[in-house]
Amino acid sequence: MKKLIALLLALVMCLSLVACGTSDDATTGDAATGDATTEDTAAGDDAVAETIKVGMVTDVGGVNDQSFNQTSWEGLQALAAEDPTFEVSYLESKTDADYASNIESFIDEDYDLIICVGYMLANATREAAEANPDQMFAIIDDNSCADLPNVACLMFAQEQSSYLVGVVAGLATESNTVGYVQGQVSDSMNQFGVGFISGVLSVNPEATVLQYNVNSFADAPGGSTAATNMITNGADVIFHAAGGTGNGVIEACAANGVYAIGVDTDQSPLAPEYVLTSAMKRVDNAVQDISKAVKDGTFTAGTHLYDMTNGGVDIAPTQDLLTEEMIAAVEEAKAGILDGSIVVPTTAAEVPEFTLAAAE
Amino acid sequence: MSKLEKILQSAFFRTIISILIGFAVGAIFLLIVNISPAEAYAKLFSSIFSNPKSLSYCVVYATPLIILGLSVAFSFRTGVFNIGAEGQFVVGSMAACVVGILVPAPPIVLPILCIAAAAAAGALWGIIVGFLKVKWGINEVLSMIMFNWIAFYLSNYIADLPIIKNEGNAEATKNVQEAAMILLPKSWIDSLGLCNSASWGILIAAILAVVVYIIIEKTSLGYSLKAVGFNRDAAEYGGINANRSVLIALAISGAMGGIAGATNLLGIGQRIAIFTAQESYGFQGIIAALIGASNPLGVFVGGLFYGAIKYGGSRLNIIGAPSEVVNVIMGTVIFLIAISHIFNFRLRKKKKGGDK
Amino acid sequence: MDNFINNLGILIYATLLYTAPLLYAAMGSCFSEVSGVVNIGIEGMMTVGAFTGATVAYFTGNPWLGFVCAGLAGMAFALLHGIATIQFGADQTISGTAINFLAPGVAIVTAKAIFNSSDTVPLDPSSKIPTLFAGVFSSGTPWSNFMKNVFSTYASTYLVFVVLVVVWFVFYKTRFGLRMRACGEHPLACQSLGINVHRTRMICVCLSGFLAGLGGACMTMATSNQFRPTSIVGQGFIAIAAVIFGKFRPQGAMIGCLLFGLCSGLRVVIGSSSLNISVQLLSMIPYVVTVIVLILFVGKSHVPAANGKPFVKTK
Repeated sequence: MKKLIALLLALVMCLSLVACGTSDDATTGDAATGDATTEDTAAGDDAVAETIKVGMVTDVGGVNDQSFNQTSWEGLQALAAEDPTFEVSYLESKTDADYASNIESFIDEDYDLIICVGYMLANATREAAEANPDQMFAIIDDNSCADLPNVACLMFAQEQSSYLVGVVAGLATESNTVGYVQGQVSDSMNQFGVGFISGVLSVNPEATVLQYNVNSFADAPGGSTAATNMITNGADVIFHAAGGTGNGVIEACAANGVYAIGVDTDQSPLAPEYVLTSAMKRVDNAVQDISKAVKDGTFTAGTHLYDMTNGGVDIAPTQDLLTEEMIAAVEEAKAGILDGSIVVPTTAAEVPEFTLAAAE
Repeated sequence: MSKLEKILQSAFFRTIISILIGFAVGAIFLLIVNISPAEAYAKLFSSIFSNPKSLSYCVVYATPLIILGLSVAFSFRTGVFNIGAEGQFVVGSMAACVVGILVPAPPIVLPILCIAAAAAAGALWGIIVGFLKVKWGINEVLSMIMFNWIAFYLSNYIADLPIIKNEGNAEATKNVQEAAMILLPKSWIDSLGLCNSASWGILIAAILAVVVYIIIEKTSLGYSLKAVGFNRDAAEYGGINANRSVLIALAISGAMGGIAGATNLLGIGQRIAIFTAQESYGFQGIIAALIGASNPLGVFVGGLFYGAIKYGGSRLNIIGAPSEVVNVIMGTVIFLIAISHIFNFRLRKKKKGGDK
Repeated sequence: MDNFINNLGILIYATLLYTAPLLYAAMGSCFSEVSGVVNIGIEGMMTVGAFTGATVAYFTGNPWLGFVCAGLAGMAFALLHGIATIQFGADQTISGTAINFLAPGVAIVTAKAIFNSSDTVPLDPSSKIPTLFAGVFSSGTPWSNFMKNVFSTYASTYLVFVVLVVVWFVFYKTRFGLRMRACGEHPLACQSLGINVHRTRMICVCLSGFLAGLGGACMTMATSNQFRPTSIVGQGFIAIAAVIFGKFRPQGAMIGCLLFGLCSGLRVVIGSSSLNISVQLLSMIPYVVTVIVLILFVGKSHVPAANGKPFVKTK
């Protein structure tokens, strides 16, 4: 026993020594390059023309949140795979206090573009952007930094995509009852709900929309319970905007043989026979666009609105479960949104008026 | 016993060995994900030591861990296991946040008020658990687990009240007033090249470490608390009111949990977001206490170490390495510390019962 | 009345859904605690079980193989805990805390190695734990809805109650159960009677890891269909709380788990009604009710006398 331990220890020591040895070298190397580049940060554009470094800071949801953090990261990864001049990486924020230090890390590493995912990072982004006027930033789902000369605010008309799935739900329901499960009450979550309800009512004014807020993005049983409750009360199509809680929603729908509608990404793989469609928010396109703009030198600050017109939001490409009638209705709604004849409401207060107008 | 033997058998040496093996185990997992351990650890350490700014960030990250570690260590020494540090941290942060937003007071006074409020809230959270224990005999581990979650939702509830909530679209409270912050003077930060969140928090942590040491080792209160923790019946026989001791121990422990929340808020947080998941500061505090062997000085050093690894480890993502490897390393370290008495580097052989 | 039947059905559905993973873990915790070893690492063992179950089921397409492997994975970490605490007399709380950091770390890093993501790939319905009575009850009338909801639960949920009966039997009707409980109360006396305390405790700790792993797998193979880092968030601790609540008896732990599940369901039913209560306050219900029930009905919990104390063999 003792011999074994001694042997193990010896091995460990060697390993650690190797690790430490190399680490020292690399450390000094890193520091040296760091110093070199800090001095010509201003002229850095030419010097780093070969690689464009794009860093992304997640909110507390983490990089696998099955929502905008994940979509952003997938977008960046795809970009790096197709164009090797891009070097991409991310930092995860575990708490609200991590945002500033994560952003600073990317600044210290001389990243060309820092993408802050989510409105929770607005304060930290503003502070960092004001302190580092030469650094380019992009922030998703926030418009409060639009006045700064170095921040691109990537905004999404998510109500448009949820409107489209609402149209599908309104046509798909046989019981005239549909459900909406959300993970948290917040402006952007509420917009999903408002768009969905408007979409449902636009094609099916008789329909009832049941709503429930599970108050968690990680409570799959809670999602299942909420969905089963809605199904028991007659719902036969349920839309969720609830991250991991949504797994439970989709699960309950599959178990009861009713349709679920996914969010953010094409969630059809979660239950191909029951996920009718998904409301897509193409955060991946947006982060690719802004990264390419940095490469081409066409980066512009201010609000960049991603909506139906530029493919920023859309309905999922998987349409196996949709009927001809639904596809036609979706196309019609899309056309209406594109030509401006349909303006999807963004707050609950506008819904009644919108529905009345749509009925006429 | 020779000098060498003394060093080999010291707790400090064992901890160092545990840490080295922890890194070796981490290296194995890095190899599994096809990342060069040398490169990953280089990144880890360069993120910590590259400049005064990153070092000061490590200290900022370590501060709440040290104070929570002290809270947990104090509870260990007095015979309760403060698994409720998480909840005390949360209510402490919230109390400091409410005071920091709403109370009009000048600088210096306001931070003191905030910290006092946090200490009171944390102590209350500890006392409730203690009261349930002494009055109805309810196991403290059970009620602490419940009260951690109650604190979580209570904090969310308060953060959502209109008077506290952020006016923008962020799901968080307003920022506390500038006057409430305990940051170091701007001129110091600039001249030393520290991070913007460098604060007096570490000083508060140091003072608390001394206070805990004095209470435990130098006062009769500490003596009676330890006695109850060691053997409740014997202590009662010796004339110590055991129930009162449990309440005091939990109150002190809870107050420190609350102060940890306040220093984090007034130093780096500035606001409280509506939680979507527990932030697990409490468990990280337990880790700090365990690395430091529940000794105030040890906890201080252990907390600094963990804070640095936590900060540096999160940077592993930059080179594509999973930052969760830090959890593997820390888990291994704690595990080895738990069994560290088997690293028995005796120069002479001595038979021991039970050893195979 | 119809509404009441509907709500009752939902409540039972939710109770079963929340209870199953908790109850597996709680029974595991019972084994360990009763034999005298505090196992705070249940949470970590559940996480690693959750990951292993979803991964094995994904690659083999066989849910029950995944389920068993989940148990074995939990058991592997329990074995570590057992070796440290029983063989080497390590502090049980420290070792358990270490497992809680180590196990999720290992699970997520391995997930990244296999799937290049911390999530596993969603399982096909055929590789998930099946629901036994799917399609037997049709919806329509309130009572048929009720039956449908009550029986729409997974095979793992029925199994947990079978396991519960077995565990109860082992605890109170077998010689092993008697020895095990004796080891938690008077290890020294056990040794003098020729019982191998270390071996008995080791078996119990391993069983606790196995059951915790099964509990974790329930979350990722039944309730949901993939592992994510947030699959297990605190269920292990709730299970431990349920065991203390149930005074370290499996049947008591069951009541603790059912109560917790019921309250979680109640939250959804009340939240969906027209009552306008803050969702944050509603979310507190399971925790507050547990404390209140403790005060009113349960009170002092008898902790096994030798619980948490390492046992050193004497000659």
